[in-house]
Amino acid sequence: MYSIETKSLSKTFGNVKAVDDISFTVDSGEFFGFLGPNGAGKSTTMMILTTLLKPTSGLALVSGYNVVTQAKKVRQNIGYVQQETTVDEYLTGRENLILQARLNHISSDQINKRIDDVLNLIELSDKQNEPVVTYSGGMRKRLDIAGGLLHHPKVLFLDEPTVGLDIQTRRKIWEYIKKIHTEFGMTIFLTTHYMEEADQLCDRIGIIDYGKIQVIDSPKNMKNSVGNEILTLQIKDVDSRKSLISKLEKIQSISKITSDDDKITLFAPSGSDTIAEVFQLSSNLDIKIDTLSLKQPTLDDVFISYTGHEIRDEDSRFNRKHEHAKMKRLRA
Amino acid sequence: MTLIFDTYTIFWRELKRYKKSRSGVLIRLIQPAIWIVVIGNTFAGTQPLIQSVGFEGQYIEFMAPGVIILTAIFTSIFGGVNTLWDRRYGFMNKALTSPISRSAIALGKMLAISLIAALQASLILGIALAIGVSFPNPLVFAPIMVIVILFSLGFSGISVMVAATAKSQETFWGIINFLGMPLFMLSPALFPLELLPDWLASIAKLNPVTYTVLLVRGLMTGVTESGISALLSIGVICAFVVVMIGLASYVFTREVNKPF
Repeated sequence: MYSIETKSLSKTFGNVKAVDDISFTVDSGEFFGFLGPNGAGKSTTMMILTTLLKPTSGLALVSGYNVVTQAKKVRQNIGYVQQETTVDEYLTGRENLILQARLNHISSDQINKRIDDVLNLIELSDKQNEPVVTYSGGMRKRLDIAGGLLHHPKVLFLDEPTVGLDIQTRRKIWEYIKKIHTEFGMTIFLTTHYMEEADQLCDRIGIIDYGKIQVIDSPKNMKNSVGNEILTLQIKDVDSRKSLISKLEKIQSISKITSDDDKITLFAPSGSDTIAEVFQLSSNLDIKIDTLSLKQPTLDDVFISYTGHEIRDEDSRFNRKHEHAKMKRLRA
Repeated sequence: MTLIFDTYTIFWRELKRYKKSRSGVLIRLIQPAIWIVVIGNTFAGTQPLIQSVGFEGQYIEFMAPGVIILTAIFTSIFGGVNTLWDRRYGFMNKALTSPISRSAIALGKMLAISLIAALQASLILGIALAIGVSFPNPLVFAPIMVIVILFSLGFSGISVMVAATAKSQETFWGIINFLGMPLFMLSPALFPLELLPDWLASIAKLNPVTYTVLLVRGLMTGVTESGISALLSIGVICAFVVVMIGLASYVFTREVNKPF
């Protein structure tokens, strides 16, 4: 059984197709991410999966339950951390978690232990009795995430968990999320428009644009599919360089070799494997490599290759159409 | 059973929030206090009019129960506004994706609002006592509070429904102001029903505020007005509350399932 399964899922607002015929599956315990610009349909998909929106057509199962006909069963099995921080400012951190625990029907003899555990995990134990008003943005987000964990959901939904946070706080949140995933082993479904976030956290990524999934694969495979990793060697000695190049040409894992001044540039599908071969070769030939660098293609390159534009383009390109759709949704 | 537990969860949260934002309590008392002091004294000369329908005391004693109900009306009819904030800032989605029922959210809010309204009303009752309004028997305080809580429970249903339906603050306040003042004015809160023209009195008799005012004033002054018995008033209030609980649960559930 899949943890999440959708078949031809669509959601239309007026005549805007926010989610357009999406089908995908997520395995139990997998860390799965939706990557795409604002307005691509990520949050809408998540709202369907968390029972907040009904799909216009298609099927969605979460933890084996139909999100439309078995909504209550779905709600018992999910945790949902929204894009906005939703903790109550007037309440203390602990009170917020008590509320969350009660909303999720955790039995009263377990509430305190569960709260202590998650407070430890997100390192907020010492601030738990202070009102949330005094918390920083990152702390509020951590508290929100903790609230989504209390009832040990089978599937945890994280909607843009680090949006609006500075880069250091963002990295810190990533660490907590990784820790949560290893500790609880639940399925995590994340949406993001940060390449680095998807790359750092997810086992597999679905790239979504204009409500359609463009590709689903692991970050590594995606990057491999875009092209080769780039290995640059600097060898100052001319003779050594020439003899190395002649040997390198015989290595099959290298797809292309170029040389320029004292540098040799190698293109290879798997740079780390090639590095080993190059080292082997150079030490056999007793050639001194002066410098060496390995550059990997980034998910940015992947995104462009699948959607034809950069993810940061969205501001200018999407503004009109999607803002309009959003306003329509708000008024609906 | 879970419905009761879930309702209590929301009730607990609403009261926690109220407790932490206490600053509003005193500010909200100013307006009804002004009503009692200004209107109560300005219309002191109407004493012969109210005596003509069977009251013996001062005008201020006649209208004080009206202002207590005024406080209950406005506290409870404004009380649902945080539903809009909850939807805007995500608490609602958090509750909606948890296993609790939608009705429990509406009911928990309504119970909290009615308790807060009763608290505010009891403070006004205190002010009334302080400026010389007298009680036949201090024991009537308890039934008055029960009536105010029941009445406010019904009225908070209006507020929660309007808040769930309205998508913006502007719409909410527009509708609430349109409803609040007329419901208060179309009741015997300030003048006895006997003094109203027939057509106005007939409209007032359709208003649950009328029966609440009559019941509370009956308890405070011992006079039965317009031939409306306490039993009839209790019946009307209870029916109003039952209908509002059912209606608010239904409308709230229907509205929050739509995208905000």
